[in-house]
Amino acid sequence: MDITLIIDFFPKLISYLHITLLILVAAVAIGLIIGVTIALIRIYKVPAFNRLALIYISFMRGTPILIQLFLIYFGLPALLTLVHIDVSRANPLLFVAITYGLSCGASFAEIIRGAVNGVERGQTEAAYSIGMNEKQMLVRIILPQALAMAFPNFANSVIGSLKDTSLAFTIGVMDMVGRGNTLIASSLHALEVYMTLSIIYYGVVLCLEKGFSLSEKKLQRFEGSLAVDTK
Amino acid sequence: MIQLRNIQKSFGNQLVLKGIDLTVNKGEVVSILGPSGSGKTTLLRCINFLERPNEGEVMVDDFTVNSKQASKKEILTLRKKTAMVFQQYNLFKHKTVMENVMEGLLVVQKSSKETARKLAMEVLAKVGLTEKANAYPVQLSGGQQQRVGIARALALNPEVILLDEPTSALDPELVGEVLEVIKRIADEGITMIIVTHEVSFAKDVSDYIVFMDQGEIIEEGTPTVIFNYPKEERTKRFFKRINREAGILESNLSSVI
Amino acid sequence: MQIDILFIFTALIEIFKALPLTMIITLVPLMIGFLIGIGITLIRIRKVKGLYRLANFYVSFIRGTPALMHIMLIYLGLPLLIDKLAGTFQWAFQSTSIPILLFVLMALSLTAGAYMSEIIRAGILAVDQGQLEAAESIGMTNFQAMRRIVFPQAIAVALPNLCNIFIGFLHTSSIAFIVSQKELTGAANIVASNNLKFLEAYIAAALIYWGLTIISEKVTALLEKRATVYNRGGVA
Ligand SMILES: Nc1ncnc2c1ncn2[C@@H]1O[C@H](COP(=O)(O)OP(=O)(O)OP(=O)(O)O)[C@@H](O)[C@H]1O
Ligand SMILES: [Mg+2]
Repeated sequence: MDITLIIDFFPKLISYLHITLLILVAAVAIGLIIGVTIALIRIYKVPAFNRLALIYISFMRGTPILIQLFLIYFGLPALLTLVHIDVSRANPLLFVAITYGLSCGASFAEIIRGAVNGVERGQTEAAYSIGMNEKQMLVRIILPQALAMAFPNFANSVIGSLKDTSLAFTIGVMDMVGRGNTLIASSLHALEVYMTLSIIYYGVVLCLEKGFSLSEKKLQRFEGSLAVDTK
Repeated sequence: MIQLRNIQKSFGNQLVLKGIDLTVNKGEVVSILGPSGSGKTTLLRCINFLERPNEGEVMVDDFTVNSKQASKKEILTLRKKTAMVFQQYNLFKHKTVMENVMEGLLVVQKSSKETARKLAMEVLAKVGLTEKANAYPVQLSGGQQQRVGIARALALNPEVILLDEPTSALDPELVGEVLEVIKRIADEGITMIIVTHEVSFAKDVSDYIVFMDQGEIIEEGTPTVIFNYPKEERTKRFFKRINREAGILESNLSSVI
Repeated sequence: MQIDILFIFTALIEIFKALPLTMIITLVPLMIGFLIGIGITLIRIRKVKGLYRLANFYVSFIRGTPALMHIMLIYLGLPLLIDKLAGTFQWAFQSTSIPILLFVLMALSLTAGAYMSEIIRAGILAVDQGQLEAAESIGMTNFQAMRRIVFPQAIAVALPNLCNIFIGFLHTSSIAFIVSQKELTGAANIVASNNLKFLEAYIAAALIYWGLTIISEKVTALLEKRATVYNRGGVA
């Protein structure tokens, strides 16, 4: 083992970090759209759709991300040939973004739903009592409070997704880990490559955690002295 | 003028309001008294349709809403003409005192920011909380929170303010400051309907007293008549019990009022 | 699109045979991780000198890196260490004779240990301080009080999280296929490439994982009911 190789590998691997982060950002963005939609469907128990939402959430919670990745990778092109769209040559990044987006969507939906249900009934009534309509009540009173409450879980989920991106290479994505594998092939120093990757992942997670805890403080400042940091 | 006609409300098959008729003139303060479970809260919530009555009409100003055919839009209009002060304050937790008071002005009445701010400052001065304008609700005592609740209602300049036991969640030593504020705005001629258990306060602040029991108005009239010459047996019994219970508290309350 | 529904059934049966290995890769790390977790929790709660910082770093590092990294670091790193030791002490023993599965189990045990310690810690912190004091007040030692009074209550509190970590590790075990373990995902992969029916094979695997997850959720719900009944004591 040659520890100094880590210094050599570090710049080579970190130059692919943006791909990893791109996957994460795309997944979170897709996840937010899906998550809010599904949460609303669940909260308002929209007939028929509520059923579908339940099955969707149960499936995403019930299967490994790796299997989901393979299902999308092999299933989506097959599905799209039905409508004569050929994605067999599409960038695997696309499949990864969709898979991780769907996965984020399911967990975000449950997080948002829990938080919305956690907002006291009195807040809704106060909003109505001053003459707000349902949309104003939802957008101005309930959602801001719910999002602040949901934030810690949301942050955990995002960090979980970041770690899950380490599996994207299995369908041939050239992210950090993908690049790591080519380095292994050329240098035959697998251990050092994985050590470097671990350091980078750990660094990114620490940064994210720091950022999230700062934003959490800001978001939840209205909880005042009651929300003393217990860490 | 506020007029309730034959308001009926049931939960499941329990008839909680059995056809309430009530008229409140402009500038009047009406207190609703009655034992627990008699339907006071329900009646108050029927006035702004937080609870939709099964039967009857609510008229505020010249605007009538019928329980049977009320549209969403009509309910919104009704709510714009009324405001409510809650037992548990229900301040918007994620907004500062100032923002709580401005919210309705900005969103519902579509005032400009400057107008809203100016008006909010005025009502906050009225409830004595200008220096807390930038605090969040959690940073306030219960009494202060309830005064913000009153300011939030007052800012909207509604036809009527509905208050549901505004002091019953408060520690005894904080009750006085809130009652004082209510008294002050009553003197300004704001129309109010107050559900309360503070009998001596009701006596002092009200132009008219309504006594409810089991979903019905048993007795109503001016405070002098109701408190001194109650006709109904149930009213008499209620006052006797209240007097006994309140005997101890009475002394420190009267110092405030 | 051509989906061979019948083949999904064939695949289902074929892949299902790999269930025991998946269960081993799920349960063994969880059990070892539970022990590690208790140790780490005690170190962190008692603030044991020297070890305290190390324990914190261990938990933070494991939670801050993908499980794939843990598997790879152990799988690639440990043999180097073993061979070196074997060389120094002249053991007649080579790391290549150790099955990969053992490395996977070791790595995932370390992974589980960090997550377990967080769950156990949260459970213990949720137990009322008064419980410990009450136990000590009747003359129990701190250790007895922890073991007999605090710990059982902490486990009841931690039950939903323990279920979640089981499901989490059931799914995490799927990455073992990357180091060619023939657990559910590995088996699906083989069935897929042997028959060139990828989608069908992965659908079958998904159904198995999904079913297992639903069963564990149901079981937890039952356990939770019993735990809370027990917690409510005489009222039940
Ligand atoms: N949402 C509801 N669902 C079912 N029953 C209800 C509901 N709200 C009120 N009730 C019932 O209606 C009756 C009247 O309740 P209400 O809250 O109006 O009484 P109240 O006079 O305000 O009593 P208190 O003085 O205790 O506040 C009670 O029997 C109560 O149990
Ligand atoms: Mg009431």
